[in-house]
Amino acid sequence: MSEILMIDFYQPGLADALNQSTDEQLDELTFGVIGFDRAGVVRRYNTFESKISGLAAGRVLNAHLFTTVAPCMNNFMVAQRFEDALELAAHMDVVIDYVLTLRMRPKQVKLRLLSSPMEAMRFILVNRAQ
Amino acid sequence: MNTVNTADFEIDIVADHEALLQFLYLAPVGLIQATMNGDIQLINPLSAQLLMPLAKEGMLSNLFDVLESVAPELRLMVSAFPHENGTVCEWFRAHLSAGTQGKRDARVLGISLIKLDASRLMAVLNDFSQQVAQERQLKHNAAWLNAVSAGIADYALIPLDETGLIEEWNAGIGRLTKFSAQDIIGQPYSVFYPADSISTERMRDFLCEAEEDGWSLSEGWRIKADGGRFWCSSMIVPVEDFGDVEEAAALFDHKASGYALILRDITDQQKDMGEHVRTMYCDYLTGLSNRRALFEAAELELKRWHRHPRPLSLIAIDADFFKKVNDTFGHAAGDLVLRQISLVLKETARDIDTVARIGGEEFAVLLPSTDIEGALALAERFRKRVEADCVTVDGAQIRYTVSVGVSTMDNTVASFDDLLARADKALFDAKHGGRNRVVAASGALHG
Repeated sequence: MSEILMIDFYQPGLADALNQSTDEQLDELTFGVIGFDRAGVVRRYNTFESKISGLAAGRVLNAHLFTTVAPCMNNFMVAQRFEDALELAAHMDVVIDYVLTLRMRPKQVKLRLLSSPMEAMRFILVNRAQ
Repeated sequence: MNTVNTADFEIDIVADHEALLQFLYLAPVGLIQATMNGDIQLINPLSAQLLMPLAKEGMLSNLFDVLESVAPELRLMVSAFPHENGTVCEWFRAHLSAGTQGKRDARVLGISLIKLDASRLMAVLNDFSQQVAQERQLKHNAAWLNAVSAGIADYALIPLDETGLIEEWNAGIGRLTKFSAQDIIGQPYSVFYPADSISTERMRDFLCEAEEDGWSLSEGWRIKADGGRFWCSSMIVPVEDFGDVEEAAALFDHKASGYALILRDITDQQKDMGEHVRTMYCDYLTGLSNRRALFEAAELELKRWHRHPRPLSLIAIDADFFKKVNDTFGHAAGDLVLRQISLVLKETARDIDTVARIGGEEFAVLLPSTDIEGALALAERFRKRVEADCVTVDGAQIRYTVSVGVSTMDNTVASFDDLLARADKALFDAKHGGRNRVVAASGALHG
């Protein structure tokens, strides 16, 4: 067991905690974490996300998130929000209801979208719907 | 002898499975497998990308439910499909939004449905928005070429003056339309139209369109001197008089001195095309126009409105307590009620109105040359007729009512989507006010 794994899907200031976490620590979380840079390229992909999507991190890392990893999020509800936040240099931290097509099965989830003008890394967190 | 390295196989299967998953994740078309009831079993990301904006409460559990608001006929098409398997529909077009002239293209979703067996349905989805915009341009070009190159025998060339009055008669006109010179010279070109099928404003619109675009094309019934009808492709082109050189220079500033109206009898082609056109522009259940036809008509009317503002109104209709009718008497009875509403609506509206079914139990009527008072009066006539009407199913009399919202075009209306949203809002108010009533959009009466 590593020391600091008190990260909760809903906790405030989550972006800082994720940025400070090692890959191993992200892999112990019980929700999906996708970290991508300002160019939209996936840089972090934890084990939970890898399991629910059925894709090994190796297939996903260094690929463009919205065009070659998760085109289902490439619409005004997700991708557009990140684009707008970047353009307006705005802070974004929202939780939305969404349907992902994990392993081609429709699955209702909560997505938390994190973007900050200070940080190079942006995050999408995937949690089961309550 | 029969040694199979299963370890290798296992590894391949896992890797292959992953590659297949990714293949489906990235497929640039939407793929869905559903039950015959539309319950979604498998769905790829592009489908979700295309359908999520339509999903009520963010649910993607039933394909027909998600598409109900834009393609209500799909459910029936599947249940009425007579074969054990096969293609139920190929690239059926669901119009999501009408778009804004010159700014945003109409959003159109193409849907193919394939019945795999008694319990499985495969859907293929594609975003058609771009193709539709291109197609429209191509259609214009093709019709133009057709008119110029096709059979010389079946067309008439009619010179019009700058106000649309017929200037000359020739043998071609006589052959095609049976009209004599004294019948038509000096008459507006509406003499070729069946009574009430063209308004003065529409006649002027066609001339303006010809002036601005180089041509104006339309298709529809035209009449002959003996009262006979023919399905006609008609085109108006501006004709510039270069007889006088000095005047010609002035004409480069562009003002047609007259027009040529070309009429072509395409009744035979129409018979061949009939079925095809019907599936593209008609609602499967009621025979009314579908969303596509309404949106295309609206786009044209709005373009005309922006050129020459004139009354233009929209009526949105929703059958009251329709779910109760379905639940109490069954879907077949519900369909009968929808058909009956369509019939009454069609009888109440005029020939130049576009009467469409735009959702499960939602209808809309686009009313050119009609102000808010005229639209409210028509809506009220319709509401009363429906109220007095009933449908008999298995001896049971079903009475039903409708709620109606009416909006009208003015310069605060940004697009057809906006006009429709205003009528919908009024419809919502009619529902909340107790149903079975007509409500005008706020501001419409005093705008």
